[in-house]
Amino acid sequence: MMYQSHNEEETKQIARRFASTLKGGETVFLKGDLGTGKTTFVRGVAEYFGFGGVVRSPTFTIMNRYSIDQGPIKVILHMDFYRIEDPSEFTALALEEELGRPDTIAFIEWPEKDTQQFVFATYQIHFSCTGSIHEIEY
Amino acid sequence: MRVLSIETSCDETSLAVVREDESSFIVEKNIVSSQATIHAQYGGVVPEVAAREHAAWIFPLMKELDIPHDGKGIDAIAVTAGPGLVPALRIGVELGKVLAWSWNKPLVAVNHLEGHLYSVWLETDRPPLFPSLCLLVSGGHTELILMKDHGKYQLLGMTRDDAAGEAFDKVAKLLGLPYPGGPQISKLALEGDPAGIDFPRPMLDSQNLDFSFSGLKTAVRLSVEHHASLHQGGLDPVDRATIAASFQQAVVDTLVHKTLKAVQQTHPKSVILSGGVSANRLLRETLREKLSVVDPNITFHSPAIVFTGDNAAMIGAAGMMKAKRKEFVDPLTLHADPNMNLISL
Ligand SMILES: Nc1ncnc2c1ncn2[C@@H]1O[C@H](COP(=O)(O)OP(=O)(O)O)[C@@H](O)[C@H]1O
Ligand SMILES: [Mg+2]
Repeated sequence: MMYQSHNEEETKQIARRFASTLKGGETVFLKGDLGTGKTTFVRGVAEYFGFGGVVRSPTFTIMNRYSIDQGPIKVILHMDFYRIEDPSEFTALALEEELGRPDTIAFIEWPEKDTQQFVFATYQIHFSCTGSIHEIEY
Repeated sequence: MRVLSIETSCDETSLAVVREDESSFIVEKNIVSSQATIHAQYGGVVPEVAAREHAAWIFPLMKELDIPHDGKGIDAIAVTAGPGLVPALRIGVELGKVLAWSWNKPLVAVNHLEGHLYSVWLETDRPPLFPSLCLLVSGGHTELILMKDHGKYQLLGMTRDDAAGEAFDKVAKLLGLPYPGGPQISKLALEGDPAGIDFPRPMLDSQNLDFSFSGLKTAVRLSVEHHASLHQGGLDPVDRATIAASFQQAVVDTLVHKTLKAVQQTHPKSVILSGGVSANRLLRETLREKLSVVDPNITFHSPAIVFTGDNAAMIGAAGMMKAKRKEFVDPLTLHADPNMNLISL
């Protein structure tokens, strides 16, 4: 499906609709250029699951963890591999301990850099933007 | 008191030995992985070790630190317990626990942000006065913290999306500059007009002390696309420098404005600027100048450049203050805490 978004709120709306289909254990790749709305999308997902805290960009932290308590999903992992330079760095992240657990859903911004060799993506979402129209496709 | 300190919360692996002086802390040793080379004598030739491979760095750095193997002369161990990446934090925390347990020395758990606050107490004869207001700006942080006394903190505001340092790095990428972007932008900005483009100053008018930089990132991207479309060969060098200078000015204006707003609300005796982005000269000079206009009695403090980025020396300083207050933790039960809260300390 291809969705068009004209502002942040519409992007979060699309994210909430997507979030409602998740059951737990999914890993979602978020692909798209700088400022196309990847972090905004995760903010919408976190809101859908009733997370009350602030969703910040994980570019520097690499992994943010949001605890939620609605149904079987307890943890949203918000990751960003923008700063990963070499696939060898994945081993130091111990992702196998985190991903795919039935109580966890994971979102990965910038999953380029051979992430596919280490992580299986349940869904891939593509973000783009021409002028002020943002497009979201999954 | 002499403290051995360990920092592995993010990219850097760092070890330090810090000793107290009358009013500040003397850094006897401070080794940071990004500035160190693993020597071949340690277990054969080690290939280039990537950032965040703390497990590969930590013992070579320990060897480099060259302290007695029985811990003689060390009075306490300080380790960053959070916030940060669990697999990264864990390496430092486990080393701290093992050393504290086997040497039978007290162990303190330090919050990484607390370390950045204490970076201005390192190697100085003019430490801050309380209450101190701190603007902590780095790749991952943009926070305003009121420090009422040693160990007493109040979080006043923080970024709601991207950190200031992250904005520098991402704008650098948009302008085709290498990582890390901060110094590159500053250099290019010297050739550009800081008033050339009126980029948004996010949240300047809001009453709270929070920050937002993701909209600025998007505004710069649109500006780069616009200017590149005007010329056949892409972005013109003059436009590029103007964008860099105008962007840097927008970030500095926003940070300084909010800090001064916090000064008006909290009436501090000192203002501290720390974290990786505090190395930015325009930010340092603008904040110092504006502050002296607002109230010349408020003292201004910024760390020596070597202590702006992540380092273990600042963890040692914060840890020593905790050790003096006897805020020890049990080496058998300490856990890394990825979301460690400064206030819950
Ligand atoms: N339709 C839209 N969807 C999402 N963000 C938008 C939209 N229109 C404008 N924006 C702005 O673009 C920026 C998107 O930033 P962010 O979500 O951090 O992007 P990314 O994570 O992809 O770099 C925000 O500042 C937001 O206000
Ligand atoms: Mg993002």
